[in-house]
Amino acid sequence: MAERVSARPPAAVLGRAVLWRAGLLVLRRAGLLLVLLAAVFLLVDLLPGDAARSTLDANASAGEVAARRARLGLDRPWFERFAHWLGGLCTGDLGVSARGRPVWEVVGPHLPNTLLLGGIVLALTAVAALGLGGLAVLRPGGRLDRAIDSGATVLLALPEFVLGTGLVVVFAFYSDLLPAVTTTSTGGGVHDAGMLVLPALALALPQIGWNTRIVRTALTEQLRAPHVDAAVLDGLPRRRVLLHHLLPGAVPPIATGLATSAGLVLGGAVTVETLFNYPGLGSVLTDALQNRDGPTVAGVVALAGLIITSTLVPADLLGRWARRFA
Amino acid sequence: MELSRRAALQAGAATAAAWLAGGCRSDSGGPRRPAGPPRRGGTLRIGAFGRAASVVRDPHGTQTNESDYLVLSLLYDTLTAPGPGGVAPRLASRWTASPDLRSWRLELAEGARFHDGSPVTSADVVFSLRRLRQSAIGRSRLPGIEVDGIRADGPRSVVVESAYPNSDLPVVLRLTTFVVKDGTTDPAGAPGTGPFRLEWFRDGNARLVRNDDWYLGPPLLDAVEVQMFEQPEAMLNAVLTGQIDLASNVGPTAGRAGEGRSGLQVLRRPDDMALPVVMRTSDGPFADPRVREAFRLTPDRRGMVEQALSGYGAVGNDILGTADPLYARDLPQRGQDLRRADRLLTAAGFDRGRSYPLVTSDDVPGLAESATLFAHEMRKAGVRLEVVKQDSSTFLGQSKGKAPLYTSYWGTNDSLTFSATKLLLSTASSNEADWRDPEFDAAYRDAVSTADPARHREALRRMQQIEHDRSGYLLWGTADGVDVARDTVQDLPTLPGYGRVQLERTWLSG
Repeated sequence: MAERVSARPPAAVLGRAVLWRAGLLVLRRAGLLLVLLAAVFLLVDLLPGDAARSTLDANASAGEVAARRARLGLDRPWFERFAHWLGGLCTGDLGVSARGRPVWEVVGPHLPNTLLLGGIVLALTAVAALGLGGLAVLRPGGRLDRAIDSGATVLLALPEFVLGTGLVVVFAFYSDLLPAVTTTSTGGGVHDAGMLVLPALALALPQIGWNTRIVRTALTEQLRAPHVDAAVLDGLPRRRVLLHHLLPGAVPPIATGLATSAGLVLGGAVTVETLFNYPGLGSVLTDALQNRDGPTVAGVVALAGLIITSTLVPADLLGRWARRFA
Repeated sequence: MELSRRAALQAGAATAAAWLAGGCRSDSGGPRRPAGPPRRGGTLRIGAFGRAASVVRDPHGTQTNESDYLVLSLLYDTLTAPGPGGVAPRLASRWTASPDLRSWRLELAEGARFHDGSPVTSADVVFSLRRLRQSAIGRSRLPGIEVDGIRADGPRSVVVESAYPNSDLPVVLRLTTFVVKDGTTDPAGAPGTGPFRLEWFRDGNARLVRNDDWYLGPPLLDAVEVQMFEQPEAMLNAVLTGQIDLASNVGPTAGRAGEGRSGLQVLRRPDDMALPVVMRTSDGPFADPRVREAFRLTPDRRGMVEQALSGYGAVGNDILGTADPLYARDLPQRGQDLRRADRLLTAAGFDRGRSYPLVTSDDVPGLAESATLFAHEMRKAGVRLEVVKQDSSTFLGQSKGKAPLYTSYWGTNDSLTFSATKLLLSTASSNEADWRDPEFDAAYRDAVSTADPARHREALRRMQQIEHDRSGYLLWGTADGVDVARDTVQDLPTLPGYGRVQLERTWLSG
């Protein structure tokens, strides 16, 4: 290990290498997103029923449905519609929804809400998981370690809606400490900050459970590494051992765990948003799917893909950087 | 499958939550009727169902969100409106028909003004009706009326021509004939004439304030705030914890949870949603009228109302339009007769050795449950039905009007003739059972082409008898609309369907 550290390239070269790698990563993820978006158009097309039927009265006549199909361009093949939509995307235009509103107008108000809730959840997860995982490895196999481990296992096994319902019962019904559902203010945002607490907890607790276990495992593995042993035997201060010898080796799995959580949080948001009436992207996505509204579904997927990519790329880079120092 | 199981679990968890929270049940639930006359003032916070990607702000668009329709109805006025005994005047204060009932003249209400102060003229009404007629669903919203048949007759009255004699034209005009100003190009938030003015609208949620100049007298509430909800569980939680005052149309499960709870009232609006089983009449296993009759004779209707609707509903008699003042209550109620059902099935040679798919969906509360119960009931006649649940779009695209046997739902039940034009006539826009009966069509024509009340009544009676005897419908029950409200909310709407949006007489006692 020591040889690799001494053979470290000069900073300028390193900076360029990181940029190059980041560029490659972004390109690869963008390509992946493109394939995903095409798949979305194809899948919505393959689903039974269509947007013309779903956005008219249930008793609309066959003629009215046919006229609307033509108006929405549903008589053209899916790849033609996808190509057209993609052309608009290049200029930042997310297209028009099946109900005739610009997709950005439908999705836009929900994006900040999802980013806010997701951000809170990830920050909470990172802090709690690092803290609890760190505490657990202080005395491996001790009482605290065992308590944290079993607590984490229970949390990660809880479905979000069971957890969410439990939180509502305790904090809204019995104690009246927090609001049960989210109501919106004039700006379309969340009415008051207290409304974020329960949805954030319902989403974060399972992730905290999962990430605490990852942190604990990663740190435990590092504890067994020979260079850490050597550092402890050399009599280096504990803080220095933790920061310089333990953590760098543990960062890649921890960063990957958190990045995976970002995806899981977006997925779990659909359930939690429903339960707490939170106006995020999840509700738009489920509704758009139900409407067979290809452009809106693709718009949400594009934005969610962008969010996940922008958390995965730094996590990836952080992992590579840490491995360099390990 | 996975999704529906998940939804069921969620519903279960939410019900459990409501039950757990029921620490403070009182014996005397229901409205707390205060002494004294209605009071002015206060803000009513309403929860209404709606979905984010389905928000429609155009009054002449297709509104699938109840929240959107509520906001539009507070902001705009229709020409006529659903009333306790049929239709009531709204923006049209009076109407008269030509002797042949093809031409109707509507007079505009005295003092009607838009929210920007300008008076309502016949030009505005003509523009709005024509705009509605030219919309994607115009033909079914204004049946028998062409664009050229809508014209002004002086500044204060409008003439509407029907392609055929139609004594029920005012009924046709009661739902989405919202009036905007002549020449309106951007209908989102365009000034209306309704009892409330729009203060803001964001992403399906809105706040409206009292229109003190409303021509039918100012409403009592200072303001109405509409909060959109996707799921009944969340709406119920909101009204239980006091975040909203009224959970509009929240449904039977929530009604059960709110029943008998102190500080809350559960309101039932009868005839809100018809939940028929549709049997295809033109071909397939149910084309034989004896088979359809046998099916109608098999289920325990009362039991289905109790179980599928938690008791929030009424037994049906296979006739649609149950809230019509001329609904034939004297026709004998069809009940369970298993021996006769058995004889009919045998006589028709119905194959009871195989199973038949019964398509259903989750579109309205109790619908999928009713399908499961119905399938269970049919085993009493030795008929095996296999319930196939489809999501809304699949159901509308593949099964409605096509499948041999499916559950349907119909939220406008205040008019027999309205149901006929939509569902029952040979020319009906959505002839779900593919039923064509010349005698029924003739009875309908007789009913709408006479101005004589006795003849009208007699023809309606004939229509109902035919429908009861041999249509493709098995209407085992109609669901009540169920609202849960704080007990301080007084004089809430009692009408079914679209009548639930009339809030101008509603007030707050505390």
